[in-house]
Amino acid sequence: MTGRSELRVNRTTADESTPSQLRHTVEAFLNAIDIEPALRDDIIIAVGEAIANAVEHAYERQEPGRVELHVTTDEDNTLLVDVYDRGAFIDRELREGRGLGLRIVRAIARAVSIDTEGGTRIRMVFDAGTPSAHDGSVAP
Amino acid sequence: MSSQSSLDVIRLAGELDIARRDEIRRALQPNDAGGPILVDLSEVTYADSTVIAGLLRLRNDADAAQRRIALLIGDARLTRLLQYAGLAHAFTVFDDRASALTYLAGSPEQ
Repeated sequence: MTGRSELRVNRTTADESTPSQLRHTVEAFLNAIDIEPALRDDIIIAVGEAIANAVEHAYERQEPGRVELHVTTDEDNTLLVDVYDRGAFIDRELREGRGLGLRIVRAIARAVSIDTEGGTRIRMVFDAGTPSAHDGSVAP
Repeated sequence: MSSQSSLDVIRLAGELDIARRDEIRRALQPNDAGGPILVDLSEVTYADSTVIAGLLRLRNDADAAQRRIALLIGDARLTRLLQYAGLAHAFTVFDDRASALTYLAGSPEQ
């Protein structure tokens, strides 16, 4: 991966098909910037969990929710992914599976931050220029 | 308990995420036969924590009933997903069916 690239996707009426659609969009983007396949797959897993988290929360209000995805790369081979929705973060980890999802995100990304100001933004930072740093020895 | 006729085979394939949450929940339930359980995920191309949660529920049910359970996984991404969830040692995983069946034909572990 070299140089700076950017992907922006905005779904104003995200539904349960959105995670799959956005995963494939991210996959195409990562292929285009030539990220190593195993790392690409791990990033897709993490991004998929973050998007599913956002979509499930939107569903809880019984109305279509907005989900935004923003992926950028920079010159030092850092890949930054933001998944943003308009909901509050409260109680998400209590939902079946979603606490596991955030654990998975944290295991894959170099850094994860969650901003709940005016919505919920999950920011994930990946080292994109080298083979996956993960050897599978992830602490429970 | 180990006769092949009582083997409970649960098979899921394709992309497994929240869009198929209800199907996943229904599929990952043991039958009433009381035999070992093979979860065949060899044709899964993507899975998220929805599946992991269902597998955990199934494993707990199997443990409670003293039934052996094995996962058949063909894609390294799914194996890594279990690792990232901190659950690599929570399941007995095989990448070939014959080995999984041999394991399931053994006595249940206490």
